[in-house]
Amino acid sequence: MRRDPTPARSLRTRLSFDERELQSRRNFFGITDDDLARLARLEPFAHKHMDDVVEEFYALLLGHPETKRFFPDDATVRRVKRLQREYFVALFAGRCDLEYVENRLRVGAVHEQIGMAPRWYIGAYRKYLSQLIERMTGDLGHADATAAYESALKLVMFDMSLAIDAYIAANLETLGRHQAAIRELSTPVIKVQDRILLLPLIGAIDSQRAQQVMETVLLRVIEEKAKVMIIDIAGVPVVDTKVADHLMKTTAAMRLVGAQTILTGISAQVARTIIQLGVDISSMHTLARLQDGIELALSMLGLQILPAKEPNP
Amino acid sequence: MSAHGPIPILRVGSNLLTTIHIDLHDTVAEAFQQDVLLSIERTGATGLVIDITGLDEVDTYVARILADTGRMAKLMGAQTVVVGMRPEVAATLIRMGYLMEGVETALDVDEGLALLIDRQNKKRRGT
Repeated sequence: MRRDPTPARSLRTRLSFDERELQSRRNFFGITDDDLARLARLEPFAHKHMDDVVEEFYALLLGHPETKRFFPDDATVRRVKRLQREYFVALFAGRCDLEYVENRLRVGAVHEQIGMAPRWYIGAYRKYLSQLIERMTGDLGHADATAAYESALKLVMFDMSLAIDAYIAANLETLGRHQAAIRELSTPVIKVQDRILLLPLIGAIDSQRAQQVMETVLLRVIEEKAKVMIIDIAGVPVVDTKVADHLMKTTAAMRLVGAQTILTGISAQVARTIIQLGVDISSMHTLARLQDGIELALSMLGLQILPAKEPNP
Repeated sequence: MSAHGPIPILRVGSNLLTTIHIDLHDTVAEAFQQDVLLSIERTGATGLVIDITGLDEVDTYVARILADTGRMAKLMGAQTVVVGMRPEVAATLIRMGYLMEGVETALDVDEGLALLIDRQNKKRRGT
């Protein structure tokens, strides 16, 4: 089944589209009450043409292979045609308030959801405008038709701006969700042994991630009552001054909550870089191999790993 | 004097334990420092555990008071351990560049006392 489209109200709130934004945008698009009244007077016109406008409109979309795939079956086509008729008639409802905005935002959100790119509906709006001018000049006198078209053009452009706003917002949200997922995966703190935690860092570390690493390890240290945190940086491709600085800050913060930090996975390359950069990390316990780090951590707790059977001397 | 009265300082063996649960500011901070030092003088304690689990916020002023108190206690022969710092407090202090160098820290009161007792035992054996 289809997912429910994003609730339009919350979408509007998230875009902070309020009464003031509405007024400001209406001003910019030049939508006056006269325009709305003029469109409202054309409601009979809208009802008269709604069916053939929508038919022609879908003839365009269904005639193009790339847009046709959005309408896989007849039921879908029937449903979207009905929605399209509502959309068309709403242009001539003579209103342009927050409820109208919510309605239009939903259009963009739904398009993002089904993966229809803005280029298609911008092209489709073009079709709308062509149809409008053709029918308006046919039905109305020249002066009236020009005025009516002008008003409709403003509202259609306004709609388009909303659809694109919603499209971008929905897109950013998807991106945000992915980033959150990546963030969660970026600080996997593992319990090695009672009171010893391990954080294998993999991938580049930027300031944001470093900040998050610090907060996560601090929280986990308190939760687990850990005494030692091993940070393994074998998977970090570049260790520069910034990364080193972040690691030292994390070590300092860990000390404040009463835990020690051991840094392992320092390759020859990284060791060289750190010294060449002149970074002083002598305040940290550093080791090449994770195994040595675990042994050091155990010894800090007064423990050690012994062979299961004592070898004979 | 503060509305909360003085911060209690308990004696645990040869160490002192104090739990800060109110804002350490101005007169409170000064009175606290004074009380701690007087207690060390009176009891001859060789260790001091300052528990700050109850502090949601520690600014650099308070951090400095704690560090100073530790240094003063050291002059009188008492080793200080600050315990129970909350993670967000630690992160904030580090972000502000205040590393509290020279101050011993531990996870909680148990750890802090254990650390002091361990030190004292080693010292006794050593001399």
